[in-house]
Amino acid sequence: MSNVTLFDVANGLATLLLTGLGSILPQPLHGWLINPNLIFALAATLFGAILLGASMINTIMLIWFERKMLGRFMDRRGAMHVGYAGLLQNFADGLKLFRKHTLRPREADSLGFYAGPTAYMVTSVLIFGILPISTGWSSGVLPLSLLLALAIFSFAPLFIFISAWSSNNKYSLLGGMRSAAQMIAYEVPILLAVVAVILVSGSFDLTTIVNLQQNYWFWGPLFLALLVFVVGMLAEMERIPFDLPEAEAELVEGWNTEYGGMLFAFFMLADYVRALVGSILVVLLFLGGWTLPSYVPSALTSFPLAGIFWFMLKTYIVFGVFVWIRASLPRVRTDQLLKVGWMRMIPLSLLSVVLAAMLVLVRCLPVFGCVPGLGG
Amino acid sequence: MWVNMGPQHPMTHGLWNLRVKIDGELIVDVDPEVGYLHRGIEKISEDRHYNEIITLMDRCCYVAGIAWEHVYIGAAENALHITAPERAQWLRVMCDELQRLASHIMWYAAFVQDLGLMSPFLYGMRDRDLILDLFQSFTGGRLTYEYNRVGGVRNDVPSGFTDRCRKVMDWLMDRFVEYDRLCLGSEIFRRRCDGLGVLKAKECVDLGVTGPMLRSAGVARDLRKDRPYAVYDRVEFDVAKADAADVTARYLVRMEEMRQSVRIVRQTLDWLDHHPGPVLADHLPRWLGAPYAPMGNEGYLLKRNFPRGTGFAAVEEPHGEAQAYVVNTGGEHPYRTKFRSPVFVNLSAAKHYMIGYRVADIPPIMGSVDICVGEVDR
Repeated sequence: MSNVTLFDVANGLATLLLTGLGSILPQPLHGWLINPNLIFALAATLFGAILLGASMINTIMLIWFERKMLGRFMDRRGAMHVGYAGLLQNFADGLKLFRKHTLRPREADSLGFYAGPTAYMVTSVLIFGILPISTGWSSGVLPLSLLLALAIFSFAPLFIFISAWSSNNKYSLLGGMRSAAQMIAYEVPILLAVVAVILVSGSFDLTTIVNLQQNYWFWGPLFLALLVFVVGMLAEMERIPFDLPEAEAELVEGWNTEYGGMLFAFFMLADYVRALVGSILVVLLFLGGWTLPSYVPSALTSFPLAGIFWFMLKTYIVFGVFVWIRASLPRVRTDQLLKVGWMRMIPLSLLSVVLAAMLVLVRCLPVFGCVPGLGG
Repeated sequence: MWVNMGPQHPMTHGLWNLRVKIDGELIVDVDPEVGYLHRGIEKISEDRHYNEIITLMDRCCYVAGIAWEHVYIGAAENALHITAPERAQWLRVMCDELQRLASHIMWYAAFVQDLGLMSPFLYGMRDRDLILDLFQSFTGGRLTYEYNRVGGVRNDVPSGFTDRCRKVMDWLMDRFVEYDRLCLGSEIFRRRCDGLGVLKAKECVDLGVTGPMLRSAGVARDLRKDRPYAVYDRVEFDVAKADAADVTARYLVRMEEMRQSVRIVRQTLDWLDHHPGPVLADHLPRWLGAPYAPMGNEGYLLKRNFPRGTGFAAVEEPHGEAQAYVVNTGGEHPYRTKFRSPVFVNLSAAKHYMIGYRVADIPPIMGSVDICVGEVDR
């Protein structure tokens, strides 16, 4: 099971499809269809489609999860009526948004107005192609996958600002400015926190980082880095207490005030995609990804798709913590947020890098044991 | 840059417009615009019977209907020289305080929601519902009660009401601890609210600001103590007061007022348990159209023989000091009515407590004023 990758599945499907189709067609077409290049192209497309489908379904389930959990926090039930326990409610909401007419304000800049949300959505979903979900579920070995994922992740403020500016609305502009300032301020501590992980693991490859953590999850020894990373991710995801770019009390809906229908759905979905990516990154970098420590009975790790199961469980628990924070904290103010970002988070993240460097030197700590992969 | 925060804007909690001039995130100037919800209540009152105006009073403020009924009823009874029986007075005090609880809880829910706290909003709505249930059990209404009558109240409370009410009061006292823990226990809340929207005592007095805003500036002015109406001189309570004059102080004042309201409600319940009696005055003139008034000849007074006069009443409504003036020139309708809304005055002072803060501070400051546009525009 573990040596069959998702790409193999896609490749097999593509081969089956094309050979099946080719065998019933006359010769010139037959030769053209059964062609390694075409099979590879179809396999890559299928791979992308499967990834897209899986990420979208996961994102929509994430919204359901958040609604139910928020409901429990607020002494109510959340979505209940469409499907069992409201499972299909978000699909219904999505369909409704699909059917809606998309309005563009007359004064809005057409190119930016449509390109902004599209690019935001595309770049958010793109990260899923890079993140390994379990041993079989990855697009292959990318030596710099962590760096690439974070690079794509940090495109967002640009597109948010483009769509905010081109909406030609005062609230949108204010929200866009806040959003850009906030995301850039919290980009730095996040990267520095990641540097701590890179120092200890000695790799930019997410799969390697996870494999190193088999018996040595990084959250304990690198606790400060985890803290900085989680707070920074909260700001990047624009969730309460850092959701001031779309603070509905003063800015209506912030930078997406003018968007309705499908374009709004794009923003909404992309926000949750980014929340999912943030939770996944926390799991990959600090919580051991799809691995469980070796003292766990093997029955728990050997059933089919066990890796994906444990990975998703961890991801949803991390996201649950984010929901918990959302249910219990008020929103901070822009200047307070930036002050915390530049004057508290960056020194803390630098400190976490120093601690990680010291850990590499010492190699072994009393409680946590020795860092694997360093030969210590 | 001038930004319109309203008339359709999530901050406004009603239908009004706050024009804000901003420099980046800094507020340079503000200009509150009201009048979108004007229904001409004072004018309509001129061709309505005295008891029909009560219906309008419920619509005056949609979260404090019964308190506004009390404002009007006080003035109308003075103008018509009618006194309500003692039990009706106690019932009115109980209604006022229940309404104050409902209104303040509604304020709490809306205020924390402006700050981005989502859960307490629903906790507030849940607890307010219990009070609305209580109201429903004896007035039949949850928002517009039409309970007061000239000369008393429409009906007595049903049997078993006082015990149910006591249970709700106990539940609320426990919930207030939770409310405080969620807000005052949160570092972010303190950072957002401390030192925000300061309006000092002298400015408050100069501008005519009343209610919790005035008391949060350290002035212990409360009509229930200073100019007791109904039976407020016979219940024990303390006037809530804070000194900081900022948003946190207003929060503290309102929370303390809720605790004092519970105290007053408990006292009224004890009194109501032991003093049965009529709730509507005898010998009401038939043209007042009181449904349960004795309709025999003994209660009949000719219109032209009925005493004339003017009546004034001032009531400490949940938002501040509400006043009413009714002119009775003989006849079924008042000649003129005039109402003073506390929120209108508190809102007009916006320039004095908003300039110099940030755009993100607008919702908490405006939330701490506790705006009810229905009574601003009337």
